[in-house]
Amino acid sequence: MDKVIDVQSLRKDFKSHSSRSGLKGAFRDLFTRNYKVISAVNDISFTVNEGEMVGYIGENGAGKSTSIKMLTGILTPTSGTVRVNGMDPHKEREKFVSSIGVVFGQRSQLWWDIAVQESFRLLKKVYNVPDDVYNDHMNHVIESLDIGPLLDKPVRKLSLGQRMRCELAAALLHNPKLLFLDEPTIGLDVLVKLKIRNFLKEINEKYKTTILLTTHDLTDIEALCERVVMLDEGQIIYDGKLAKLRSNWGEGKQIEFQFGEQVSLENLQPLLTELQAEWTKGDRDNVWIANVVNEEHVISEVIGRVVAANRITDIKIHEISTEEIIRNIYEEGVING
Amino acid sequence: MKHATIFLLYVSQYMKTRLTYRIDMLMEIMSDLLFQAVNLIFILVVFGHTDMLSGWSKDEIIFIYGFFLVPFAIFGAFFNIWDFNERYIVKGEMDRILTRPVHSLFQIILERMELESLFGVITGIAVMVYAGNRLDLNVSWYDPIVFVFMVLGGAFVYAGIFILLASISFWSDSRTSIMPMMYNIGNYGRYPVDIYNKVIRFVLTWILPFAFVGVYPSAYFLGREEWYVYAFLTPVMGVAFFGFAIFMWNIGVTKYRGAGN
Repeated sequence: MDKVIDVQSLRKDFKSHSSRSGLKGAFRDLFTRNYKVISAVNDISFTVNEGEMVGYIGENGAGKSTSIKMLTGILTPTSGTVRVNGMDPHKEREKFVSSIGVVFGQRSQLWWDIAVQESFRLLKKVYNVPDDVYNDHMNHVIESLDIGPLLDKPVRKLSLGQRMRCELAAALLHNPKLLFLDEPTIGLDVLVKLKIRNFLKEINEKYKTTILLTTHDLTDIEALCERVVMLDEGQIIYDGKLAKLRSNWGEGKQIEFQFGEQVSLENLQPLLTELQAEWTKGDRDNVWIANVVNEEHVISEVIGRVVAANRITDIKIHEISTEEIIRNIYEEGVING
Repeated sequence: MKHATIFLLYVSQYMKTRLTYRIDMLMEIMSDLLFQAVNLIFILVVFGHTDMLSGWSKDEIIFIYGFFLVPFAIFGAFFNIWDFNERYIVKGEMDRILTRPVHSLFQIILERMELESLFGVITGIAVMVYAGNRLDLNVSWYDPIVFVFMVLGGAFVYAGIFILLASISFWSDSRTSIMPMMYNIGNYGRYPVDIYNKVIRFVLTWILPFAFVGVYPSAYFLGREEWYVYAFLTPVMGVAFFGFAIFMWNIGVTKYRGAGN
């Protein structure tokens, strides 16, 4: 398979000056400045193959945006190599960007004052898309994103969900092989999110479009991506299958019991002897959670013992969500799995 | 060819949006006219007290002013990127520009154009015709061609200076008040440089060559032969300065740091 993205020991340093405190400090800053070099992206390497959908996640300031900006040719790397679609993004910028599509959720690609279709017409010229290719491809895109009725409205009159769908269409106008999506579903309602997700799956299947998705909404990633790359403090801390992440970290289930009467930890503790499980207190009265390993006989044993010994009004079994897994990983810092 | 069609498409879009805000457009043209009238009155007031200014008559100074308006109008229509720092660097709009397959400066020029300013070409030519008539200037067949080159040279000088200033933002994104100051210095080019002291004259010729936008090229049309060398340097200076500015811009783009999200 072809490598669409090939990043080797990529690094980006920012020099920023730290100001001293107080008026006296401000005067000293005038003459000598303290510079601090911060590595926003610190020696990362990864490759992405054609047709993959990769989730790119990390906390704010983890280096996501900076690395995406180097992959799209906006920023020049301090060191390391980047090959995207077989080109060096910042060196052959103009040729390179016509092979990618970019959606920045917080920034509009469209012109505010003019109708959506006029924006499309301008972009069509900018990307030099021939008429027949445009018609064939865009009719399909417009139909699947259901934006036909919006085309003659100016962008400023659209709702966020409508605008986002138009942005996505604009980014796909030249049918790029690689699509960068930065927070594409931020602030959107569930229906629009679903529509966008289905659409992304569809173009991925139809054109083998490679998609790199950054988002804080992990449900997007769960719905779309098999693979995740996780960043922390400028470094990759996990790169692999999402399912593996779940099985390594999401082992165990939580059984939540709502008791019919007052119970205490001393009463409950003996019930779990010789089992791989432990109690934590729930957030409501008389609710206790048993954290158990994900094995059938343990789960049924725990439930059996608890139900036999106490009056129960409710039982729920939770799987640990991806969000919790990721939160745990960030709290512990490193990945060992 | 691609650039020309993109340019025309942008112009037609621009016209469409501007025509929907007709009052706005009218106000802008009116305020431009008023601004030009105030400048003219200033010249008249100065000459209310004296007949000659270092050997230049009132009508000659008015002619220079008229000439200056033409390249300045072209500059104002296409290269008026004084808010580049705020709009593109601080707000991070440059990110968007850099993800499109057209030269970044060309895109910004297209986005920031203000075609109303071109109205100044008409006022400028009218002022020149008026002053030229009073001075009894002869016009040869090749003068209009020379005029076009002089105007383009002057507009490029202006554009070059402002592009250079905008490029500074790539290295330092702190706000500066350098742009308004430049507009003031630019105005010095409208008067004969020999009324200033040597240092200022040198600066206006070689460092911030605003003299090539007004007085030098006009000297050709006024038949002031002692200035002909400078007059014919105008297109050369324009191309050189503009080329240098684009060169610096291209380096600047690689230093772009982006705005934080």
